Amino acid sequence: MTDKKESDQKQQSVDFWRIAKAVMFSFMGIRKKSDLESDAELLTPVQVIIGGIIGAALFVLGVMVVVRLVVS
Amino acid sequence: MAAVHGDAHSHGHDDHHPSGIMRWITTTNHKDIGTMYLWFSFAMFLVGGTLAMGIRAELFQPGIQILEPELFNQFTTLHGLIMVFGAIMPAFVGFANWQVPLMIGAPDMAFARMNNWSFWLLPVAATLLVSSFFVPGGAAAGGWTFYPPLSTQGGLGVDLMIFAVHILGASSIMGSINIITTILNMRAPGMTLMKMPMFVWTWLITAYLLVLVMPVLAGTVTMLLTDRHFGTSFFNAAGGGDPVMFQHIFWFFGHPEVYIMILPSFGIVSEVIPTFSRKPLFGYSSMVYATASIAILSCVVWAHHMFTAGMPTVGQLFFMYATMLIAVPTGVKVFNWTATMWRGSMTFETPMLFAIGFIFLFVIGGFSGVICAIVPIDIQVQDTYYVIAHFHYVLVSGSLFALFAGAYYWIPKWTGRMYNETLGKWHFWLSMFFFNLTFFVQHFLGLAGMPRRIPDYNLQFADFNMVSSIGAFGFGLTQLLFLYVMINCIRSGEKAPQKPWDGATTLEWTHLPTPAPYHSFEKPPVVN
Repeated sequence: MTDKKESDQKQQSVDFWRIAKAVMFSFMGIRKKSDLESDAELLTPVQVIIGGIIGAALFVLGVMVVVRLVVS
Repeated sequence: MAAVHGDAHSHGHDDHHPSGIMRWITTTNHKDIGTMYLWFSFAMFLVGGTLAMGIRAELFQPGIQILEPELFNQFTTLHGLIMVFGAIMPAFVGFANWQVPLMIGAPDMAFARMNNWSFWLLPVAATLLVSSFFVPGGAAAGGWTFYPPLSTQGGLGVDLMIFAVHILGASSIMGSINIITTILNMRAPGMTLMKMPMFVWTWLITAYLLVLVMPVLAGTVTMLLTDRHFGTSFFNAAGGGDPVMFQHIFWFFGHPEVYIMILPSFGIVSEVIPTFSRKPLFGYSSMVYATASIAILSCVVWAHHMFTAGMPTVGQLFFMYATMLIAVPTGVKVFNWTATMWRGSMTFETPMLFAIGFIFLFVIGGFSGVICAIVPIDIQVQDTYYVIAHFHYVLVSGSLFALFAGAYYWIPKWTGRMYNETLGKWHFWLSMFFFNLTFFVQHFLGLAGMPRRIPDYNLQFADFNMVSSIGAFGFGLTQLLFLYVMINCIRSGEKAPQKPWDGATTLEWTHLPTPAPYHSFEKPPVVN
């Protein structure tokens, strides 16, 4: 039972990083074909869309932080 | 090839449709509706182009020659509105109507009757726009961006424009919902999302952008309407409103709109270049990702259009940085197209010439866009001819050249006939020459300080204006050559072979006869 829970948690964290990587690379517009194929197998469109929206919000926050640093 | 024969045979007895005018009024066939969109957009292109000729005739020399200043302002306003909403956008929807079902193996669009309605709203809106010239006070004259207070003070022409924009917006939203539903639900078995042709991908993303921002435009013009007639003060400082708020709301629509007009161009070019390079598209997945990221980023850069309207330094820097970063995924696309051509077995038929012309000139427009994104430079060039040059490099040599590439590429599939290659090449080279003659010199005019939207100018701008006007007349006349090439192709072009482009790999070329039958893919093909 504990093993299953641990493996679920591990899976969730792998998915999270996979989504984060997919979104990050998409913002640059590049992705290795092998990574893309494994994305297509392991991620659902809903996950990617939610990841994209969070990524866009982080992008806006990131630019704002840089701007604050520049003007401070 | 067996699939092609089989399909042709099965469609032979189904190739019937109503004849006469009722065919076009009542049609729910995606090919008929696509054809109507394309002819409509070309007609509007000629109307908008005629207005442009009027503008350039007036600017041929300093002084007021032909158009009174008020009429000149109406010409610039309606030129922009008609070209954006009447020519470029419907042309891309026409391509989507024709090509999306053919490229994903669907028998038609998902909502066939709504498709008919989406199209037939357009002539109504166009009539409103064009007839506004003849109402008391004339057409709207505050620029295509219709900023208040000019738009709250204008006459009946502004009301007609607002109504027309509402109708055009409704048409676009319906068209987009139709395209999204078709792509997501009607793909042939085996056609996964990541196997879709790039043109379909770009249209899917564009359609989402349209659904996102067209209601914003509708809201903006509704607020304008209530300010004009129902006593509200959304944009009236005297009543507690703010005219700068209009600019924020308008450009929250307006900047994604720029990408709405360029992403389908990317799709067309991404079909044409691999075909004539005889290589698969380099970095297909990167292209998909780049398109998606451009769409997202396009929603957070709007205020770079209003650096001089007044905003805090923090705001200026935010929009400057965000705008410069959007050049990254766009640059990725340009590298991918170039890498696709690298060591390919290239041939230079007319569609390929227009696609290469697109890349070459769109890059110039992209770079001048990055230049305009830099706040201190933008403050200098705001509302000058530099900006006019920049966005014409994006929208004419970007969107329009891609539309020409697509038209030459798919006309054999649509009509079963080949266009005249020699005349097509003449069309390209003349367009290329006159386009640059018209717009490249406008960079110099802008840097020298010539403001946009004026019928008269100082003497030092005279030479470049004359050059630009000569280029514009040449460019305008060259487009009549395009009309001739197309009509000649439809009426008496040579019979097109089944697959005139040997590098083409998408379903419409590999699984359908040429011309495409009236009803296609009633039995979906299986994509391996």
